[in-house]
Formats: sequence, structure tokens, C-alpha cells
Amino acid sequence: MIDIDNWLQSNTFHHSQFWDLKRLVEEKERQGLQISLCIPTLNEEKTIGKELVLFKSELMDRYPLLDEIAVIDSGSTDRTREVAAAFGTDVYLSSEILPEVGSKRGKGENLWKAIYQLKGDIIVYVDADIKNIHPRFAYGLVAPLIYRPEIKYVKAFYDRPLATSRGTRPLGGGRVTEILVRPLFSLFFPELTALVQPLSGEYAVRRELLERLSFPIGYGVETSHLIDTWTGWGLEALAQTDLDRRVHRNQPTRDLGKMAFGILRAFLARLRSHGIVPDLPELTPMLRQFQSRDEHYEQVIYEIREEERPPIIEIPAYRERRGLAD
Amino acid sequence: MNSERDIAARVAALPETIAAYREVILANLVMLGEIPAPTFHERERIDFLRQRFTESGLQNVSYDEVGNGAALLPGTEGGRNILVTAHADTPFPASVDHSLSLYPERVIGPAVADNSLGLSMIATLPMVLELLDIRLRSNLVLVGAVRSLGRGDLGGLRFFLANSGLPLDAAIAVEGVELGRLNYASMASIDAEIRCHVHSDSVGEGDSRSSAVYVLNRVIQRLCDLVPPQDLVLGAVEGGTAFKTQARSASLRMELHQASNRQLEELGHGIDALVEETAAETGAEVRFEIMARSNAGGLDPQHPLVQQARAIIEALGVEPSKGCCSSTASCFIDRGIPGLVIGITRGRHLNEADEEIAIEPIFKGVAQLVGVLLAIDGGCCDRH
Repeated sequence: MIDIDNWLQSNTFHHSQFWDLKRLVEEKERQGLQISLCIPTLNEEKTIGKELVLFKSELMDRYPLLDEIAVIDSGSTDRTREVAAAFGTDVYLSSEILPEVGSKRGKGENLWKAIYQLKGDIIVYVDADIKNIHPRFAYGLVAPLIYRPEIKYVKAFYDRPLATSRGTRPLGGGRVTEILVRPLFSLFFPELTALVQPLSGEYAVRRELLERLSFPIGYGVETSHLIDTWTGWGLEALAQTDLDRRVHRNQPTRDLGKMAFGILRAFLARLRSHGIVPDLPELTPMLRQFQSRDEHYEQVIYEIREEERPPIIEIPAYRERRGLAD
Repeated sequence: MNSERDIAARVAALPETIAAYREVILANLVMLGEIPAPTFHERERIDFLRQRFTESGLQNVSYDEVGNGAALLPGTEGGRNILVTAHADTPFPASVDHSLSLYPERVIGPAVADNSLGLSMIATLPMVLELLDIRLRSNLVLVGAVRSLGRGDLGGLRFFLANSGLPLDAAIAVEGVELGRLNYASMASIDAEIRCHVHSDSVGEGDSRSSAVYVLNRVIQRLCDLVPPQDLVLGAVEGGTAFKTQARSASLRMELHQASNRQLEELGHGIDALVEETAAETGAEVRFEIMARSNAGGLDPQHPLVQQARAIIEALGVEPSKGCCSSTASCFIDRGIPGLVIGITRGRHLNEADEEIAIEPIFKGVAQLVGVLLAIDGGCCDRH
């Protein structure tokens, strides 16, 4: 096990370290890198316009860090696609990408299909529901990949501005992270506990790694990515950047229960596939929650399946598009 | 020198070009607008403005003693200095969620119109001029002014005008709304507060006449008898704490205006008298405090700057609004600087959490600003 303290020193960044965007763009161009921004959406009409305008203005027009911005939509029923298109962005319906492999419903599906659709050597994923969006959400994640060739996967975490950081304070993620994921990591993958917010939806990844990762299409995608990256490339390939503050919608506890269930299923599947706990019984996809109606109590059953897409490099159409030999 | 007709014709074609830079304009609006800036606490917003000035390669990027952010875009000849300014503060406290929502046709959120859009124009103007390949002969002095609203009493702008040491040949103040406004004069006006306070030993026991709300109501009735309705804005009232308790304090915020400083002074004496009378009648403490004051005056409607600005607005297919007065204009008037206040777009729900502006008219608003600059740069203020 590597020294987590050393890793925290060397592979944990604050976005303010990368304020010099001119220098960052020069280095990106020197390396001949192409960078794509992917925003997965499902009914995000209130926030998508602002995100697109900021990223396009600041990181394409003013500082040409991004070569491509794309919205991959899961089938929004509001004006998300219309708003995105109105601001001149490439908008794709997830179901229309790689139609020969079919369509599944889930954020992970959009992320996976983006690898096929987008052209960048680096893909940065940013959720569409961020109310206080700022260019740092993209350049803060991309910069470690540009300056440090050995880093392949950069996760966001959200603490606070450096200027106000004084003394000791607890550092951590949301409820699902602290109650479920961190205890599981502590038990089975202690090095991964160094990731402050393993479930954050913002990360930048090199294509060479991304195309070799399996994608659970539901809640388990982030957890699985970390486990698979750590298993295949070690903690040195991972890094994290503090992006200060993220304002977004809070989810009700019952929804977090569904999320936790999906993550747990994906996690247990990883334990089995990595041979850590090979003899798990067949796990039910049914989550049971309860509610009262008038004088009665009743159960509500949700079916939460964690289907998984294979590494996209195994898909013939992808290999053909990227000019990879069979 | 550009003729009035040349400039108007040139400006009419600009909105389409400017619309191509929609993302740059909106990005500055969002990034500035999401930084809270209550009056006297504008520093973070000014920091961002200064960062934009630096990125645009402006000179003399600086703060002054009160916190105004300023920079200079040197002209090719530099014989003339033109001030373009916007107030940086907003009426919303920092605790309010300042997130803006952006749709293809509008932007919604606190202070987006008053005056995040105006301030973002100051940040964006150097880039717009560059994109339009316009190089002014005059120096352009860009200022984000602090301490404008309420008790700020336009203090930032007044301080800059008094202390910058720059001889200013003309000035434009930019407000987010309304496109078509053309303010070149100021009525004598005051922003004032009347506070009523009843002593605690009479609260809770007496009838409604022992409430500060009752006292304030008496004051308002007398004010309405004294001041013609068109000269009085009853802006906001506050008072009391609960259903079951007679209010201990209540206050009214209002604006009063008159055609001349002398008339306003006389009106002030009348208000002093009614305040004293109400205090004596009710036994309450009643105070009248002037928070901000503007002097009467302004440019002649026939002044070339006013004429050219009107022609530019009309060339853009916009009807100039009828009102000619703004308290901001008084800052320029007091210093003898030919100056205008203009608006950039159309908006609604002003000073409410769902304040809203339309995007499409912004391009005309920017074209108008560029046009007025060209007119001043062409010497329209020199001839008068």
C-alpha cells in the first residue's frame, strides 16, 4: 500500500494552482492534445444554458482549452436539448449513438457513449445541475492531466476557498460517501479512501484509460471506475482537485437509498470479479422501502439493476472509428 | 469628424455583428452577476472586474480609496478622456442565492438588470471594441463604481469624479435597463427615511394608537397631503414583529423630487414640521433622515450629445423614452461634465428575486453604447 499522506501531497490539487490559463493552453498545444467536454443531461433546462455559455466563452473563445463541447442527453422531456442547441452546442441523444448496441437508461450510458462520439484525447465530464458553474470545473480537472503525464484520472472534490482555510476541519463527501462508500473502501480498498469525494460527478480522464473501463450505467459508475483504475494502474494514476464549492439540488433521503443500493450492488460485483469475495450469492435487484397510507403501512419495491457496458475498446464500431487494429 | 448621420447608419448595422459575441457578453454577465455585491461590500465583484480589465490589456488597472475599480484604454491620440461607468452594488444582501438562470431568450436572477448587466458591459466593452475593430482617438476610462444605492448615495462615483485627477470630457453611465432611456438631467431629489419609535412602557397595554405603525400611518397621511403625488415615491415600509404586539418601531423609505433645489429645500422644511407635529401629537419619537441627495440641472435637450444619442437610439429602431432625469446624471452635472445615462436591454421584476432581462435587445444596447462613444470621440461634446 502506498503512503496515502504522500499521495495527498503530490496528487491533490486546488484549482487556484491552475489560474494561468494562457500557460495551460500553451502546454496543451505543445503536447498536441485535444480535449472534449461532455455534459450528460436529463431535464436540466434551468442550468444547462449557463454552463454552456461559460465554458464556450471562457474555455473555447477566450482561452482555447476545450476543442469540443457536447451535451449527451438521456431523453429530456423539458427544453434541455432546445436550450443547448440554441447556444450552439453539439447535442446528441444517447439512444442515437451506437444504435447497434441498443439503448440503456442511466447516466453511465451517456458517459460511455460519449467516448465513442467525442474526439478528445482527454474527456472531462461535468454534471449539468451545478448552479454556481465556473470554468474551474473544467480547467481544474484537466490541468493535472496536462502537467503530469503519469496521471490518468482526476476527480473533483469540493471543500472551500484556500483563503478561508484555517485550522483543522473534517473533510468529506456527501451522506452516501460517508455512510456507505468510505466504510466499504476502508474495508476492501483502503488506498481509495484518499479520494475525498469518490462520488463526485465531475472528472477528467485520458482516453487511453477511459476506453478500457467498464461502465455500470447507473449509480455505480463512479465507484467502479475508481476500483478498476486503482486495480489496473495504481493510485498514482489518480488525482483529485478541490473546486471550492458546488451548489446543486439536494436529493431526498429515499433517493439516496436507491443510489446507495445501486452502488452497493456494483461494489459487490467488483469484489466478486476481482476475486476478493468470490462466493457471493445471487443478489436481488429489488430495493424495499416503506410508507404509510391512511391507517396502513406498505412496502414500495424498486427494481434497481446495475447493467454494465464493456470497455468500449471492445466494441468493433469504436475500433473502426478510432482506426484501431482488430 | 463623423457626422451624426454616418454614425447612426454605422450603428444600425452593428447589432448583428455584436450578436456573434453573445457568449462572451453573457459569460461576463453570469460571472459578475453571481458575485453578491450589497452596497459597501462590492470588493469581490470589483476584483473580478479588475481581472477582466487586466486580461483585456488595459492600463492603470486599479482600486481607489473607496474601492472603485478603474482602468484606462488609451486612445490613438489621447487628447480627450471619456468616462464609461456602471454601479457595482445591488440591493440584494449576500445571503440571497445569486444564481442566474440562462435561457435562449432571457436571463433570470437577482440584480441581473440592476446592475449586473450594466457592470458587465464595462468588463466587456474593450473586447467588443476590439472585435469591431474600433480604435478610439480618445482615452476610455472604465470605472466600476461602488456605494451607489441607498445610503451609498452615489458615493463611489462622486469620489472618483472628485479625486481621479483626470479631466473628463464626457461621461456615460450604463444601466442594465431600460433600452431607450436617455437621461441627461436630474431633478432635485432626496432619498429619505422616516423612523417612528414608541417608548416601551406604552407597548402592549395601549390600543392601536400606541403602535408605531399607527404613528407612521399618521406621518404618511400628512406627507400625502403635503407632497403632490407625482413628486413622492413611497418606496418601502417596515415595522413591528408579531400579530399580538403593538409595534415599537416602524419606518418608511421614500424618494422626493422637485424641479429646483430651492423647492426641494422648502419641501424638506415642511416635512420637518409635520414630523415634529406628529411626534408631539402621539408622544412617539419620529425622525426624518436624508440618505441621498441629487441636485437639479442637466444638459440642454438640444445639446449635440443628447441629439446624437437620440438619433442613434432611433437608428436602432428603439423609441427613446420620455423621461430625461436620473440621479446619476446629477454627479456629472455637479462637475460640469456632459454626461448621459443609458440602458442596455428590456427587463422586468426589477429588484425582485426573479428579476429578468431579455437577451436579444442587448445587442442593440451594446451598439448604442458604441455609437455614443463614437459620437463623443468624433467631437460632439467639443462643439457646445
